[in-house]
Amino acid sequence: MFRLQGSKVLAVDMTGDAVKAKNGSMVAYDGQMDFKKLSGGGEGVRGMVTRRLTGEQMTLMEVKGHGTCWFADRASEINLVGLQGDKLFVESSNLLATDSGLRTGTSFTGMRGASQGNGLFTTTIEGHGQAAIMSDGPAVVLRVSSQYPLTVDPGAYIAHQGNLRQSFQSGVTFRTFMGEGGGEAFQIRFEGDGLVYVQPSERNTIGGEV
Amino acid sequence: MPFREVNSKMIEATVAPGQRLFSQRGAMLAYKGEVSFTPNIQGGQGGVMSMIGRRVANEATPLMTVEGSGTVLFGHGGHHIEVINLTGDTLFVEADRLLAFDGTLEQGTMFMGSQGGVMGMVRGQVTGQGLFTTTLKGHGAVAVMAHGGIIEVPITPQRPVHVDPQAYVAHHGDVRNKLSTALGWRDMVGRGSGEAFQLELSGNGAVFVQASEEKL
Repeated sequence: MFRLQGSKVLAVDMTGDAVKAKNGSMVAYDGQMDFKKLSGGGEGVRGMVTRRLTGEQMTLMEVKGHGTCWFADRASEINLVGLQGDKLFVESSNLLATDSGLRTGTSFTGMRGASQGNGLFTTTIEGHGQAAIMSDGPAVVLRVSSQYPLTVDPGAYIAHQGNLRQSFQSGVTFRTFMGEGGGEAFQIRFEGDGLVYVQPSERNTIGGEV
Repeated sequence: MPFREVNSKMIEATVAPGQRLFSQRGAMLAYKGEVSFTPNIQGGQGGVMSMIGRRVANEATPLMTVEGSGTVLFGHGGHHIEVINLTGDTLFVEADRLLAFDGTLEQGTMFMGSQGGVMGMVRGQVTGQGLFTTTLKGHGAVAVMAHGGIIEVPITPQRPVHVDPQAYVAHHGDVRNKLSTALGWRDMVGRGSGEAFQLELSGNGAVFVQASEEKL
């Protein structure tokens, strides 16, 4: 059971079940807890191999026990996402914790990943349960529907869910090469039906420099 | 009640004649009225011997005395500030986290190594707190800084609380603390969960935990 205590601390009440959380993100617990490092990404040996190959390494730990455990990471804002069988795509650096009912994996993102400075792969979360994702500043959730496609800055994108197609847009013109670019050379365009989570802050990306 | 929270990162203190406050030097943002700020070489209360004690214990943060009548705004480094009210009990806090406190509180330095023997010494090293900590005792308010806001976790005899040493801010009440290790073979082969050391607090009171693993 995930609940937020303030906007920056996640409290998880556990009764013998296990949650997965970012390595080292526990700040306090009471009761009896056990921490075990998971080798990240997907389950099993196959997951491990994919992770090694893709570089989408999130170091996760499994927390198991009875009591309440509090998680926080570098004073990031935390957003709870409920999943009912759908799939959440999130940058591994923005994932704080997932419920025992959720599976994690890795998927290919193509050019978008490269523009975000996060590599070519992203983490997927599937199943029924809750996930906690982190953002630098409070995240906004933007709805995308078939009539209203959405374009976001790759550095501000943190996660998306639902049935979305993403394409990569570039606004590179001759001005960019003259050093007169607007700082928004690359964007990601989402089409379809779903939700996109955007943070009010930008990571350092290649696109932001030009 | 001399402290009022203006927002999560600023507090307003009211000073009246005859009452004084101590605050970290340079933490004043603005003031109204006739207020004087005197640097306090002794780093707090209690005369020269206490000063030497603090110097030796490395718990000497530059403090200033705030006197006069008016209101003063305090804030420092954009850190979150939490006002903790003490009603006769003792607060244990690192000196560099202290933003301001009531002049009525009794300030002291405590040797933490005495709690828990060798493990106590190790704890000081691991948490970066050193072997000494500052204590504040009495009736009054203390403004404590933390990175990313504070949550308060109550400690009862039946339910000891474990805290990440880096996220620990302060505690009050009758609490014993010891460093517990969960070092296993996994840590030795570099596959630790990142939670090898924990501060175990047991007894009666509360611990304040910040939403970040960063030191100030």
